[in-house]
Amino acid sequence: MSSQITSILVSTLSMSVPLILAALGGVLSVRSGIMALGLESMMTMGAFCGVLGSYYSGSAAVGVLCGMLGGGVFGICHGILSVRYKVNQVISGIGLNLLAVAATTLLMQLLWNNKGSSPQVASITQDVLGSPITYLMLAAVFAEQFVLFRTKFGLRLRMVGENPKAAATVGLPVHRIKYIAVTLCGVLAGLGGAYLSIDHLDMYVRDMSAGRGYIAVAIMILARYNPIMVLFCALIFGFSDALQISLQGYGVPPQIMAMLPYIVTLLVLAFGVRRITPPAGVGLHDDE
Amino acid sequence: MAARTADIRGILTKNLSVTALFMALILGGIIMAVCGYNPFEAYGAILQGAFAGKKAICQTLVQATPLIFAGLAYTVAKRANLINLGIEGQLYIGALGTSVIALMPLNLPMGIWLPLALAAGMIFGGLYAGLVGFMKVRFGSNEVIATMMLNTIAENFVEYAVNYPLKEEGKSIAQTAKFSEALWLPRMVDKTQLTVAILIAVAACILVKLLMDRTRIGYEIRCVGQNLQASETAGIRIGRVMIISMLISGAIAGLLGGTHVLGVDRRLIAGFSSGYGFDGIAVAALAADSPIAVILSGIIFGALRAGSMVLNRTTGIPTEFIDVIQALIILLVAAPLLVKEILRIKNKKSEKKGGRKG
Repeated sequence: MSSQITSILVSTLSMSVPLILAALGGVLSVRSGIMALGLESMMTMGAFCGVLGSYYSGSAAVGVLCGMLGGGVFGICHGILSVRYKVNQVISGIGLNLLAVAATTLLMQLLWNNKGSSPQVASITQDVLGSPITYLMLAAVFAEQFVLFRTKFGLRLRMVGENPKAAATVGLPVHRIKYIAVTLCGVLAGLGGAYLSIDHLDMYVRDMSAGRGYIAVAIMILARYNPIMVLFCALIFGFSDALQISLQGYGVPPQIMAMLPYIVTLLVLAFGVRRITPPAGVGLHDDE
Repeated sequence: MAARTADIRGILTKNLSVTALFMALILGGIIMAVCGYNPFEAYGAILQGAFAGKKAICQTLVQATPLIFAGLAYTVAKRANLINLGIEGQLYIGALGTSVIALMPLNLPMGIWLPLALAAGMIFGGLYAGLVGFMKVRFGSNEVIATMMLNTIAENFVEYAVNYPLKEEGKSIAQTAKFSEALWLPRMVDKTQLTVAILIAVAACILVKLLMDRTRIGYEIRCVGQNLQASETAGIRIGRVMIISMLISGAIAGLLGGTHVLGVDRRLIAGFSSGYGFDGIAVAALAADSPIAVILSGIIFGALRAGSMVLNRTTGIPTEFIDVIQALIILLVAAPLLVKEILRIKNKKSEKKGGRKG
């Protein structure tokens, strides 16, 4: 029994790590006023570029860096589309998500002649407790909390998100701050994606993120855009997911069990946390 | 010469969506060329697969049908400034509703049973979407998250239904029994999958257009979409309008699911949708949220789909290029400023001496 509890806890953590990383990125992006629906694409790119880096260098560490780079590039793209070209941020997020899945599947086909999965590559540990990414994630939670609420940069970032016009009036470089935030968002989500492909597994599988980016958005909102709360919300989600997997085989159909984490999130959304207001400037463009 | 390029540029800047479509196609061609494939061969094969002959055109319309429904569903919600990302879930629940009626041993005549089954799908899909609207109005729940969660729940629930209560008896495959023939949507052309579903889709677009332009609720939906505060001041009950527009959007998604199970598979199978809900966003974006333009836009994407099937068979070019192009279309159509900027660059190059800065 105790071994079962341990295994549930370990699997809770292992489900949560990528979600927490992506949701942390999302918090930065939303706090700067850019909706984070593109998280899915950044995770997908992180997972794919991680494998790509590891495949060509033979080193998992290089892979992780490549994953962060890949996520960051999509973060910048999302930023440029939203800030410079004033694209509806929901559409740009969804468009990038579709582009990431299509582009990675195409590249798999071109590079390895296999649409389903990549070859096996050098990976980190495949053990969540021994993985440096887990500790990196914990450090990121507290670092982000500190930066957002205790530093000048954090204050400016939040101001840009709340009221970009006022921020511009007092001379803040609004666009630059947004670009920095959304790039960091991509880097964090990319790290989360790399965790999936070269730590949790040792290969890229088609559509690897499989909706985790959207769940990260949900977690970030439930956490009221607060890094430490993100940690807890993601653990609750990860726990209900781990629980449903370990409860399978007790007579309840697996498809019903698989709904559990989503129903929990939905109920929390409806009854737990009402009227969560995002920063006032989210989704707005300069001239609005 | 200069005058003519200016003319062309004028036309291009006026129809930015169409320009964006062509840019995405050109960009896709460039990517193909970089990857070592011949884009002319690819587009040739796609055109042939989409339009050469009766069969190809039927295939294009078959592919266009769900895309028109999905684009229309997205458009209706968008008119009230709501983003319905839950079309995927609503179409599954709609398909389930239609299947439940279709599997009952009612033995009604086709003229009653078939519309009844489709209506059940619309009600199921509509209520599923209405729930999102209700949660938003009553609890202030973010509709983006609610729909994403409901999508996964719906997909799992349909999978459960075809594995347990609705499973065909004595078979090991997770699907329902084949529906009675009275429920098969009539085919329009023999030996193709083209059914009257395409007519229903077109009729739905026209009805939505009339609803938006000619009725009070349509007017209210447009008001709420354009200016929330002004609508409230004018005495429009915003919550009610939002819920109704989600209901209509979900009902159309339910019709997508219903026509799919009655017209294509003729039974309920888990995971039948290949992401139609998200394709609908592309269709609606290209149609600039106009219900009538959705028909044309759906046919364009349908042609890409139909063409990509032939592309796969006749050439060695991976069909994933089509998915990339579709994503590029969404991004470029949504970014008119980017399209304008690209046009300006081209124009500068063609003028050469033009010293004006854009």
